[in-house]
Amino acid sequence: MNAPATPKRRITIRRPTADFAQDRGAPSFELGRKIAGVRVGIRHDGTWRSWQYVARVWAELLRRDGAIPVLLQTGERTGPEGEKTRADLEAWHGEIDCAVSGLGTCGSCTMWSVRDAIGVEAKGKPVAAAICEEFVGHARTTASFLGHPELKVLVLPYPLETLSEAELLPIAEEHYPKFLALIGAAR
Amino acid sequence: MSDALTSPTLEIDDDPEAFFELSLAEGWGDGAPLLPPTDERVEALLEATALAPSHVIGKLPPRHGAATVELVAINAAMAGVEPAAFPLVVAALEALVRPELNAIALTTTTSSVHPALIVNGPSRDKLRIDYGAGCLGGAAGRGSMTIGRAVSLCLRNVGGQRTGATSRSVFGQPARFGQCFAEWEERSPWPTLAERQGFTREQDVVTLHGSKGNFPVADTNNDDARDLAYMLAKCIAYPLSNYYLELTGDCGQIVVVINPMWAARFGKAFGRVESFQEYLREHAWQPIELWRPANQEVLRKKNRVDTRGRVYLVNRPEQLVPVVAGGLGSLHAMFLPSWCQSEMQSAAVHGATWTADLLDAALDEARALVRSDGADLILVEADAATARVVLRLDVGDETCATGACVMPGEALRPMIADVLARRLRGALEVRLIDPRVG
Repeated sequence: MNAPATPKRRITIRRPTADFAQDRGAPSFELGRKIAGVRVGIRHDGTWRSWQYVARVWAELLRRDGAIPVLLQTGERTGPEGEKTRADLEAWHGEIDCAVSGLGTCGSCTMWSVRDAIGVEAKGKPVAAAICEEFVGHARTTASFLGHPELKVLVLPYPLETLSEAELLPIAEEHYPKFLALIGAAR
Repeated sequence: MSDALTSPTLEIDDDPEAFFELSLAEGWGDGAPLLPPTDERVEALLEATALAPSHVIGKLPPRHGAATVELVAINAAMAGVEPAAFPLVVAALEALVRPELNAIALTTTTSSVHPALIVNGPSRDKLRIDYGAGCLGGAAGRGSMTIGRAVSLCLRNVGGQRTGATSRSVFGQPARFGQCFAEWEERSPWPTLAERQGFTREQDVVTLHGSKGNFPVADTNNDDARDLAYMLAKCIAYPLSNYYLELTGDCGQIVVVINPMWAARFGKAFGRVESFQEYLREHAWQPIELWRPANQEVLRKKNRVDTRGRVYLVNRPEQLVPVVAGGLGSLHAMFLPSWCQSEMQSAAVHGATWTADLLDAALDEARALVRSDGADLILVEADAATARVVLRLDVGDETCATGACVMPGEALRPMIADVLARRLRGALEVRLIDPRVG
């Protein structure tokens, strides 16, 4: 005859995870007018040549439509150079009416593109983060836990980096009106 | 069940495999078995620190979860940290949350980077933190294995770092399990890493470095220490280093782990560590022709090429950080390459009794309660052994001569006691001397 199974002793343990704050829903903004006369910030970090090329193309298209492009290259994030980057961003926020912040095509550059876009949104200005397809989920997660789940994300193909300028041009032209629509600007 | 702990509880079978399965299902761990964080284990760790369980060390990236001492202890208990080593885990997290370490970027990047912990001080042996043979993996000291792992678990469970979701690291690295080693101070010809950061040799100190991994080099051909250092410098300046992606060579550090035999040779050739660092920097460059045309174009655009056609790795000698450790085989060195956008951070370890620093930090928060009204709190007495603090209220300037604008002492005292109890462990007796009351 089998002996009755001894019930296992139970122990109490503590849950090791933080209680992450509910994602706050900071508002996003729309321009709600024509792009002509608007100062449009274009942020890049000097790392991705593809995005620098797209930025140049968009700057030309914005000028064609009567807008004023205001390009910003962000620099280092730590040390004295990091202080300069933060000061540059603060000054840029004051100069622009709306912006696009890119390029998200790696882990940290996506995070910084999103954070710098949120910096614009926190000033009550329309903005989109330009993110390659592969990193869109990462961008949305980051925006959510930074309290801006509604941050507008302009999705670009992935990878852009190996494309020639001839291949990038139609992508830049195709996504320019998408960017304007995303921030609520009319041509 | 402890009343002192506030984290949610779970009841499980007292079975190691059941807890292991649970940890895997909940995503709490790194794939290896963990110890169940029972109240007994957690409280034993908390006893080793002067900080209160509710004290928030900081917000851990990437999701900015609040790292209370209690949550850190729960994760340290799972990692198998022994109580004596817990203050070191706390100090590591104090360093980790400083903005200049840039942990938000470290935890989200596609890079393999992870905070490596380098320990200095008298407790290295007692805590079994490896600094001899196999110190970067394989030596299996309990301190080395569990302290680094506890920090990694905190990033996962308190910071919300999850591969593929909040972290996009392409490869990760073995050190993401946790990396912690010590300096073999007694075999270093120079001041220790901690001393070079302004600490004393009597202090236990942990330094965090955003390390991309372990980069091994070997040489048996050079008898001349300067020639050997020259070759090290050339290896450090490998052409696809992150430094050559950056706009400048200004940020971050590279840790150069030197075996004790080589350290002795370098010590004879370079009497001061600064001269060794300067020599390394002077030779840590590559000729622009080394790179392919596309790289050359970018480096030129970033003004990284000097008039002699050299591309220096870093701008300052102190960015190349020698640390003496490892076995006595006289042919190996190891680099912990930099991710660049992260500045090394060091923090002193505080034990189970209050130190002046901890008390000052707690008092600063308490003083904020009265300073906006022009008053202040003067420390009269603090005794960690009896957990007694005596403060005198200074009602301040002439505009508040009667003290009428500062809240009454009977209302203020419990608020001050709350602040101190939240930051400092122990049943605190707080006495407030209020000059407005005879």
